Amino acid sequence: MVDGLRRPNGSETSRLGRREFLKGALLGAAVTVGVLSGDLSLRVAAQPSPPAESLALDRESELVRMTRELQESLKKPLQERKWVMVIDLRRCVGCHSCTVSCIAENKTPPGITYRPVMIWETGEYPNVKLNFLPRPCMQCDEPPCTSVCPVNATWKREDGIVVIDYGKCIGCRYCVMACPYGARSTDYGYEWVPELEHGPLAGTAAKERQDRVKSLEYQPTPWYGGPYGRGDTIGITRKCHFCIHRIESGVLPACVSTCIGGATYFGDLNNPNSLVNELLRRYGAFRLKEELGTEPSVYYITGEGGASVISELEAMVDRYREEVLLREFGGRFRAGLGGGGLE
Amino acid sequence: MSRRISRRDFVKVGALLGGATAVMLSVPEAFRKYAEAVRAAAQGGENPLAKPESIIYSVCLQCHTACPIKGKILDGVLVKLTGNPYSPQNMTPHIPYKTRLDVAAKIDAYLCVKGQSGIESLYDPYRVIKVLKRAGPRGSNKWKTIPFDQAIKEIVEGGRLFSDVPGEEDRQVPGLKDIWVWGLIRDRGGDPASISADMKSDISKIMAASGDEKARLVEEFKAKWSGELAKYGLKLEDVFIDPDHPDLGTKANQFVFMAGRIEHGRKEFSKRFVIDAFGSINWYEHTTICEQSHHIAYGMISGKHHMKPDILNCEFIIFFGTGAFEANFGPTNMAHKLTKAVVEGGLKFAVVDPRLSKTAAKAWRWVPIKPGTDGAFALGMIRWILENKRYDARYLENANKAAADLDGEPTFTNATYLVKVEDGKLLRASELGIGSDSEYVIMDKETGEPTPVDPNDAENPKEGILLVDTTLNGIRVKSGFQLLYESAMSRSLDEWASICGVSREDIEVLAAEFTSHGKRAVAELYRGPVQHPNGYYNGQAIITLNLLIGNIGWKGGLSKGGGHWHETGSKRKGPFHLSSLHPGKISGFGVKLTREKSKFESSTLSLVEDVPKRPWYPFTSNLYQEILPSAADGYPYRIKILWIHKGTPGFATPAADAQLEILKDVEKVPLIIATDIVLGETTIYADYVFPDIAIWERWGTPHTSPDVNTKASKVRQPMVAPLVDTCRVFGEEMPISMEAIMLAIAEKLGLPGYGSDGFGPGMPFTRMEDYYLKMVANIAAGDKVGDEVPDADDEELRIFREARKHLPKTVFDEERWHRAVIDPEGNDWWRKVVYVLNRGGRFEDADKAYDGEYLTHRFTGLLNLYVEKVGSYYSKYMGVRFSGVPVYVPPYIDSKGRPIRDDEYPLILITYKEIYGGQSRTPGNYWILSVMPENHILINKKTAEELGLKDGDVVRIVSASNPDGVWPLGDGPYIKNRYVEGKVKVTGGIAPGVVAVSWHYGHFGYGASDCEIDGVVIKGDYRRGLGLCPNAVMRRDPVLGNVCLTDPIGGSASFFDTRVKLVKVS
Repeated sequence: MVDGLRRPNGSETSRLGRREFLKGALLGAAVTVGVLSGDLSLRVAAQPSPPAESLALDRESELVRMTRELQESLKKPLQERKWVMVIDLRRCVGCHSCTVSCIAENKTPPGITYRPVMIWETGEYPNVKLNFLPRPCMQCDEPPCTSVCPVNATWKREDGIVVIDYGKCIGCRYCVMACPYGARSTDYGYEWVPELEHGPLAGTAAKERQDRVKSLEYQPTPWYGGPYGRGDTIGITRKCHFCIHRIESGVLPACVSTCIGGATYFGDLNNPNSLVNELLRRYGAFRLKEELGTEPSVYYITGEGGASVISELEAMVDRYREEVLLREFGGRFRAGLGGGGLE
Repeated sequence: MSRRISRRDFVKVGALLGGATAVMLSVPEAFRKYAEAVRAAAQGGENPLAKPESIIYSVCLQCHTACPIKGKILDGVLVKLTGNPYSPQNMTPHIPYKTRLDVAAKIDAYLCVKGQSGIESLYDPYRVIKVLKRAGPRGSNKWKTIPFDQAIKEIVEGGRLFSDVPGEEDRQVPGLKDIWVWGLIRDRGGDPASISADMKSDISKIMAASGDEKARLVEEFKAKWSGELAKYGLKLEDVFIDPDHPDLGTKANQFVFMAGRIEHGRKEFSKRFVIDAFGSINWYEHTTICEQSHHIAYGMISGKHHMKPDILNCEFIIFFGTGAFEANFGPTNMAHKLTKAVVEGGLKFAVVDPRLSKTAAKAWRWVPIKPGTDGAFALGMIRWILENKRYDARYLENANKAAADLDGEPTFTNATYLVKVEDGKLLRASELGIGSDSEYVIMDKETGEPTPVDPNDAENPKEGILLVDTTLNGIRVKSGFQLLYESAMSRSLDEWASICGVSREDIEVLAAEFTSHGKRAVAELYRGPVQHPNGYYNGQAIITLNLLIGNIGWKGGLSKGGGHWHETGSKRKGPFHLSSLHPGKISGFGVKLTREKSKFESSTLSLVEDVPKRPWYPFTSNLYQEILPSAADGYPYRIKILWIHKGTPGFATPAADAQLEILKDVEKVPLIIATDIVLGETTIYADYVFPDIAIWERWGTPHTSPDVNTKASKVRQPMVAPLVDTCRVFGEEMPISMEAIMLAIAEKLGLPGYGSDGFGPGMPFTRMEDYYLKMVANIAAGDKVGDEVPDADDEELRIFREARKHLPKTVFDEERWHRAVIDPEGNDWWRKVVYVLNRGGRFEDADKAYDGEYLTHRFTGLLNLYVEKVGSYYSKYMGVRFSGVPVYVPPYIDSKGRPIRDDEYPLILITYKEIYGGQSRTPGNYWILSVMPENHILINKKTAEELGLKDGDVVRIVSASNPDGVWPLGDGPYIKNRYVEGKVKVTGGIAPGVVAVSWHYGHFGYGASDCEIDGVVIKGDYRRGLGLCPNAVMRRDPVLGNVCLTDPIGGSASFFDTRVKLVKVS
């Protein structure tokens, strides 16, 4: 029995009071699903005029709009921002660009995947389907992972992001067990690049360049704990943090900007005009394991009829989490081949 | 043979000091420096990577889509790759071209999983950085390092180069100087430029003549040129491969340059060397193992190589084969548009593919078709469309430009033009005495009379009757549309469906949907339908669907793409018109080794043989699979020196087992040199391996997928210092690379067009930048006067320098770069070049994509619904005349067109690409391997049950031409024979009876095997070799024996037809 699934007794941060509003919006959205203008900005005037909202969506790339909105939100104090991610499963193409972009951005070692994409097949030939589910950290408003930390190394920031102070973490893995989404894992210090003598082949000269580029999470930067970090994260727990080092510089999280299906959105829920709010209003969305009361900050759009697959998606998350826990506690980690998704 | 590597073997945390040499920083030191750089930059909370001074834009090449990329560089190291927001391939709409660099720095655009992983290919420990010479038999994977200069000397001069290799003690290896006949002529006072031009012109006369006249001209040629050459003390046989067949060309043609992937920029650079300086016509790239027949089908119909749907405005798309999410051309640019159009624009799409791709998984309808029957499916659709009158008759009746203009149609077809049944030629008006040779004939729609028509006539609209079958002046004629009708009606819908293994309803539903959206439907293809012996016709049938609704050039229809500014200066004829800036240029001539773009009847070999020994390929080019087998057979001639550049014919070509056998044979290919970034599967069989600079270290000007509707000229440029050693050429230090080798050979032989006056007086060509920067200047200048980009201002210049301060002088020397872009008139293009380089190319703004209901950059004019060139050609080799309209030919046929029966091999093998792999470029991308460590042999549940197989069973794939299922790699200590074996994966996502294996696993080179260099064994990494590659069991042509099955028209190699059997191993 996994102890971590219990609800924490209290939350570390004040609740933002947005959830009730949002729930209302979602209920309303259920009615409007499928009522799309069908118009793209690049279309001609011969088409009936689309609603203003649709034009706003299309006048500029979603990436540009979200970047602009992000930079606007940064002008507000931290506690007035509420970062959320919206993943439109209709647009996810199961490509793992987000997975690998995240590895590259955060220099995570083999075995740590902040953003797996789960892929599974359902149905019988020829009525067979492939299902894709990207899973970042849910950045819960009621995070079960933080209260179990014996050294207060992890907490929820005022803007909604659940962080770990890599200088404080002692690697006890209570939080790994506590997360119902399998979103935390331990850095065992494995390396991607094999070691070869430097000689006629690039060998260590190449490896050195890859190794030199350590994660910004290790770095003496303002973002990831301690005044100067600790230089590495071996033996401690790591997790997705919505790329704080990017968003605080006005750049979208790596998984968002690289999503070639255009399925991943990021923004400030406190900005009523933000793209994420617009998408939630328009299409409706659900969150994983809503019944646990974790209040995730990650929303999934499934489109018409998609609600019926929620339990299937959650079952996949459970399976993934099981793998993570087996790896963490069952000693079945396969060096070098970990991470990625389940297929 | 699989072996486990313990964590200790490749993870040596803390043992990083060992390999460091004096030229590099030790890791802790480097790490400290990096950390300081981050800290310094991060003051005030600013991520250093979000600043323009840390960014260089370039172009990916992990697949041929070649997406513009943004490289983030810290402390001289490429830290992160992402999409370039200025580029229309990476987001829609892209940011305006004038956007400030600091604004763009904070916008990362889309980039696929392979592009993201480029850092691992760049900093791959298995990269070759020194010149390697074979120290054992070919394929032994034993090497010794030698100095660059020595390697150049040896390949230029030849000699007993492998006297230390047992069995080759006395083998005299030819050098480049032995076959560079123009050097002989020059050294004896002749002028190679004028002599070669003169010879070329004489040869073309011979080829144009027929019969006795041809024989007479050959004698005349021999007489003339033995006299001319005697002036320099030379005989015909000193210069020509075969004086009796001078159209085979000079001995220079025995130098063959065989590129796997080569893209614009390097294409032009290497052609200047191979063709225009060395004088060999044997320059190749890999296109026939990619999707050549699709290019040829498009080319025959439109003159354009390919077109793509205007996805955002389409209402219905049928993807035949590869879709938009994994491969095609390519995922980054197509995927986001397709998903957006589905979610927001109401697009529906169908996928016709034996396998449930990820694209098919999102499709409105997946049609699991039998491999190679796409043409039959399209003909079935055509039949339904014709029978139900769902084609755009108004469009198809238009017979010239004037008629099309009247209807507001950008294009028109020759559907109504009359074709002579006897020879497949279009009837000319002169033949009926009603017009000229250049006019065709239609049956006028109003009068019903034969009427002359000039397609380009913009004044007098002509409309013809679509279905015509008649005799005029005793000449039996049919309209092209009639011929198409007959082809489509040759089988019932049920018969078409049965050929394809689909239901009749599948055909009907797709045909009905396709014809329910006006111009906003597209039938799209890439390589799936065409890599078959019937590939051209399959491609033609699919493209013909588009002709029936006339969607080309329309918004939401089929787009030729936005095009590009011409980097060779060909449009503007300047500022650097590169083909003119070539003093002493040689005119290469002769029949190519693969007999491509040549007709047997035109060659002098037709005087001595009735039926050619191997097929000729008049309609296609870059016939990759045919290069080595032709050389092996010495048909039409033997070769001496092969340069394999960024390619792996011994791995990537179907029937790769046959290619490997030839590569191993030093008699058939006496000297093989290779340029590669690693010891690849084929490079292992080379005699010399030169390190090459990787994509992120070099230049290029790749072109853009036509799925992009605005103009784009991408510029690849060095982002970081190359890992490879440097060399000295023309007195200049530079990284060893394809370019450096060409320059070095040019220096050694004194090839024209290189050296201190290489481009003309005072215009040196002694470094690669001399060439590539001129291309960038041409892009900056645009296609006409007034089309230039703005100047970079002082701030942009500052950022430009700052972003390149980590580059060594051997790569970036501002003064030298600047000098390279001062044109012959003395105009300075530097600031414009900087403006382009600062953005990774030149990109037209997104709002220029459409012109009302049309695409701005649209194809206009005539489309050949009937392809006369093909339809009137009789193949002596096959003994058949080809068809001008798509016809159904079974996919599994030999080179003579006869069906192959491999009855004891009941399954059909296909390959496909996951988005995770790019041909032979990603085996060292461990991040991707973590997502998919190995591939599988996919079979349908029903097939698995029949065969008694289950998930995880290990099976061997065997075929009639490789009944043991073996890769014949050799028997050395490091590289040994291996079987085509893999694990079964049972899925509902594949048609029964089909076996699918994804392509890009199963490597034995590329660091997957051990190698020995200078007596030291370097361990391979097993992770790079997991899974399987099935190419060795792909069917050899039963007639030719040493090559795979090939499309006789489009030249595509068969990837998806081999009948196989699965033999359970464990």
